[in-house]
Amino acid sequence: MTLFQPTVEVDDDLEAFYELSLAERWGDGAPLLPPTDARVEARLAATPYAPDRVLGELPPQYGTLTVELAAINATMAGVAPEAFPLVIAALEGVLAPEWNAYGLTTTTSSVHPMVIVNGPTRSSLGIDFKAGCLGGAAGRGSMTIGRAVSLCLRNVGGQRAGESSRTVFGQPARFGLCFGEWEERSPWRSLAERMGFTSDQEVVSVHGGKGTFPFADVNNDDPADLAYTIAKTISFPQNNWYLELTGESGQLVLLVNPMWAERLGGTFPEVEDFQQYVWENAWQPISLFRPTNADVLRAKGRVDDQGRVFLCSRPDQIVPVVCGGLGGLHGVALTSFVQSELQSTAVVR
Amino acid sequence: MTITIRVPTAPRRSAEVAPTFTVDGPLAGLKVGLRHEGSWRSWMWIVDEWTDLLRADGAEPVVLEAGGRVGDEGVETRAAVAEWVESIDCGVSGLGTCGSCTSNSVHDAVSLERAKKPAVVAVCEEFETHGRNMAHSLGHGDLKHLVLPYPLENRPEKEIREIANEYYPKFLEVLGVKA
Repeated sequence: MTLFQPTVEVDDDLEAFYELSLAERWGDGAPLLPPTDARVEARLAATPYAPDRVLGELPPQYGTLTVELAAINATMAGVAPEAFPLVIAALEGVLAPEWNAYGLTTTTSSVHPMVIVNGPTRSSLGIDFKAGCLGGAAGRGSMTIGRAVSLCLRNVGGQRAGESSRTVFGQPARFGLCFGEWEERSPWRSLAERMGFTSDQEVVSVHGGKGTFPFADVNNDDPADLAYTIAKTISFPQNNWYLELTGESGQLVLLVNPMWAERLGGTFPEVEDFQQYVWENAWQPISLFRPTNADVLRAKGRVDDQGRVFLCSRPDQIVPVVCGGLGGLHGVALTSFVQSELQSTAVVR
Repeated sequence: MTITIRVPTAPRRSAEVAPTFTVDGPLAGLKVGLRHEGSWRSWMWIVDEWTDLLRADGAEPVVLEAGGRVGDEGVETRAAVAEWVESIDCGVSGLGTCGSCTSNSVHDAVSLERAKKPAVVAVCEEFETHGRNMAHSLGHGDLKHLVLPYPLENRPEKEIREIANEYYPKFLEVLGVKA
């Protein structure tokens, strides 16, 4: 197999490579695996794509992302060879114009690609979708696939906090975030199916998520009351959507634990019913906002004739994904940057 | 013992720099574009002030509110920017006072420059380097920057309007206006 990237000699010692990666700013601060030809070729063997295939130019500095560069960075991140096609699919999502990598990689916001996996290989690849799926479950797929995407943004796109990226806080997910949907515990069609794929396909979705916003409830017995309270919770006043001229773009990914999903599925048999109910209650009264803020919202036409400020424009912008442990009680909103459309891509092997 | 590894980085896009353009003449009679995103009140007040000042100087201001960048809104915004570019002789795009708004301001100023028209991007001091980096990434490393104080936002309206008047001559100078 012919590889094209330049080579460097380094002492055959993991710590020596770690030090080199820090000196060259190749990494995220944590140890990396050395991308030897044997390791890189093992990843490349898992994809039908040639090493020199160009996936696109990756913002913010528009480095040319080849399959080989993706494999090198995936190697460093520790991605298993059989999981490498998921990295490719995620990067294709990031490169889609409507994902808006140009804006997302440079913003002051914390936003970063959040990778959601559907399909039959979740368990075998170590994609976490049960307890601790957003962190702590320690599946190899979850801990490495998102990291590989982040390393590509850093090393190929040139995204670096405080320099090309003006992110104020960043977020833990900038190390890499990847999790799966617990499809078997969902009362609804999976995210992938809703995006037009079949349940036997491996599908990777990329959401421009500002962060992981957790909430909890034990007091609402009626599932509709639970859904109502979720709607009010996710429409908090400083949500990015309220900064926009309209609520027409972007999605909020709503992580619903399996216990809640079972209850909600009884009241809302179709996911669209749940999305509709959450959306129509996801608003705040204009009186909640302080006068200057209220004036701005009025000027933007965001206040309806009943004095309501809706979070977003359509029910399909609320995107439920069932995952997490069976402890119940908790939900998480992966809040929206707004100027980014969630992308789903089929894995190609 | 050593091992051989592959370098994981790619060079940034070519440093080729597209040409820039200046008015190089009087202001009167020109259609001058002023682009904002409907988000920064400070910049909208400056646009408001400059609109009046441009009219007083015999120019015709053409204000564009650039909306969202993706989905149906993105389609509308791209069409509106294209129409704006077509309709003006020169213009200023702003405001760069956050990461993505700087990137978007640069992007739309570059659209103007690609139409071979004098273009200026307005950025606050804190975001000047970012603006220049993004202009470089888009192949327009010499894009003219008008650097405004930082922070502008959350200052009283009266103070912002005074800043607008203070910086108006500088704006014309960067645009290349000559008496």
